[in-house]
Amino acid sequence: MDAAALPQVETLTFHSIEKKYLRVSIITSAIFWTLALAGGLSISAFGDIDNRPLAYAIFGGGVLLLALANLTFIRASFKKKKYALRERDIIYTKGLWWSVRTSIPFNRIQHAELKQGPFERMYGLHSLKVFTAGGQSSDLVIPGLKEETAQSIKDFILGKTSQDGSESTD
Amino acid sequence: MEANQPIDFSSPRRQSKIAIGVILIKFIRQTIRAMWPILISFFIGGRNNTWFEEMLGYFVIAFAVFNLLGSVLTYFRFYFHLEEGAIVIDKGLLRRTHTNIPFERIQTINFKQNILHQIFNVVSVEIDTAGAKKSEMSIDALTKADADALRAQILAEKKQIVAQTATEEENAEAVAVDEEQEELILHLNPIDLLKVGVSQNHLRSMGIIFAFVFTTIDQFTDDWGEVVTDQVDNYQGFMPENGILAFGIIVIIVLLISFLFSLVNTVLKYFELSFFIKSSGFKLNRGLLNREEISINKSKIQTISWSETPVRHMLGLWTLQIEQASSAEAEQLKSKIKVPGCYIDQVNRVVTTAFPAEFYRDEARHKVSKLLKYRLLFFLGLFPILLAGTPLWFALQWEALYALLWIPMIWGIVHLYHTKRSFEINEELLRNNSGIFGRKHQLSQIHKVQAVKIKQSWYQRRKSLASVQLFTAAGQSTIPFISLDLAMELENYLLYRAESDTREWM
Repeated sequence: MDAAALPQVETLTFHSIEKKYLRVSIITSAIFWTLALAGGLSISAFGDIDNRPLAYAIFGGGVLLLALANLTFIRASFKKKKYALRERDIIYTKGLWWSVRTSIPFNRIQHAELKQGPFERMYGLHSLKVFTAGGQSSDLVIPGLKEETAQSIKDFILGKTSQDGSESTD
Repeated sequence: MEANQPIDFSSPRRQSKIAIGVILIKFIRQTIRAMWPILISFFIGGRNNTWFEEMLGYFVIAFAVFNLLGSVLTYFRFYFHLEEGAIVIDKGLLRRTHTNIPFERIQTINFKQNILHQIFNVVSVEIDTAGAKKSEMSIDALTKADADALRAQILAEKKQIVAQTATEEENAEAVAVDEEQEELILHLNPIDLLKVGVSQNHLRSMGIIFAFVFTTIDQFTDDWGEVVTDQVDNYQGFMPENGILAFGIIVIIVLLISFLFSLVNTVLKYFELSFFIKSSGFKLNRGLLNREEISINKSKIQTISWSETPVRHMLGLWTLQIEQASSAEAEQLKSKIKVPGCYIDQVNRVVTTAFPAEFYRDEARHKVSKLLKYRLLFFLGLFPILLAGTPLWFALQWEALYALLWIPMIWGIVHLYHTKRSFEINEELLRNNSGIFGRKHQLSQIHKVQAVKIKQSWYQRRKSLASVQLFTAAGQSTIPFISLDLAMELENYLLYRAESDTREWM
């Protein structure tokens, strides 16, 4: 096979997702860690424990430490979340330790939809979900897109899907 | 097969009367499954009759009668007919449902028979559709002739609809070919069946039996530990002198039961298995008590894999598995059709029928990186030893060193795995080879790929390696630890082939 003549994935320009999405991620994780901290502190306060100060240090400090690590991780991995549209497929990369690059041809897309969680709504962001027939493990979610970007990508994909798929029946 | 006078399905019809029996059995099974602890306690408790248990018994009987009546009424409230380009099913006792399935949405139509079906020569018809979650409709019982006619009519009309919309030559060809032509390529005779049964994975059967025994005992009594010690206590005098003998006997009994279990299971499932090639794909019949007829549409086949174990290797038998596109997430098992006991000629025949024959050939084998071997040795060999080693050392002192034998054992296994792990690719097909003691080949048609993932761990990035994962409508397959350059080349090629191919892909 002559691979050199094919369109190359790696020479493509990738778009970052909206900066504001980082805040959404941080808020979501802050809520989780606040709950975890509340849990840890109430164990220390009401649990059957001899050395209470130590318990506070271990449970409270431990949770805070994990939260801090998680926060750093979220900030660092945010930069890895990028997407690209080509003539015939969509590509999304993510992952700091485990990097994953998913590519889905338009003519294999079954369906695409926009989703918005409560915190995404606060910042006017949308997630684009792309479904294939390959089951959940091959579905794609691109978070943190502005309304007009998300809508236009979705329309672009669906337009392409029907166009590329027009020769085959489903 | 041939219906002399076409049967008219255009007006609403009921099922065959046998359906009452079928629904009844379904119902009894359901009731027993839901209530068997109560039923058993009712029968056992008959001796020391208490008021409560008596009432419970009446309740059970009342419930049974109520449902029995329900199942008979269900029969009378079930109608089906064919409308313009769709099959319509009306059913429901209190809440009527009206289901309309357009022919083009129908993926396959399969027949199933349990004993009752077989006695009265009726079949249950299962219609598998694409799309919606609740993707299956079934008709509990139809006479074989009716079912065949129904399927023939639906398939014929479906083809016409498809031919109208499709511009491909392939489809036009398919319409021209006579549907009824079938060629038997595989039939498991009793000797083959025995071979298949004997070469089953008996360890798996043992696991199933253990799981069953423990959950069953668990349901009867909460402290089954006590029950076991009670039983063992009875033999206490016997045990110390004959401990090894007793242990040996138990092992032999367990092995024998597992062996018989898998043998019986095989016979029940694969009795009189026959595998046909048709113009549109394949057809499979199998089963003793529950007989199934499964149709496989050629264009829906995503991957074909064939594997052997060392025992099967001696018998020259392969296990063939055909995976077809199925949107029903819950029915994943159904989309995988397994044929144990194929000879390699038959495997080749199936592959060349399903996929373009000219591309089915040996290609250059691309090995996966040696580093995978070291990585696996580290995680499966050294890491567990380090974890388990310290406590073992404290418990056993020098004898703990025997645990080090784990490392060469894992090394051997990892080495075998690495030797057999490779992939082959040409313009049309991708073949994934793997295995440790046995061997497995998985063949996919490249243009049916739906998504490609390139994955890199932190370690892989440092070594410039990557794993490629490709998804089809029937599942995924992975090529681990190849060089990043090769992975990207592969990704580009797979995407290019999927994007530029206009053939049907699911």
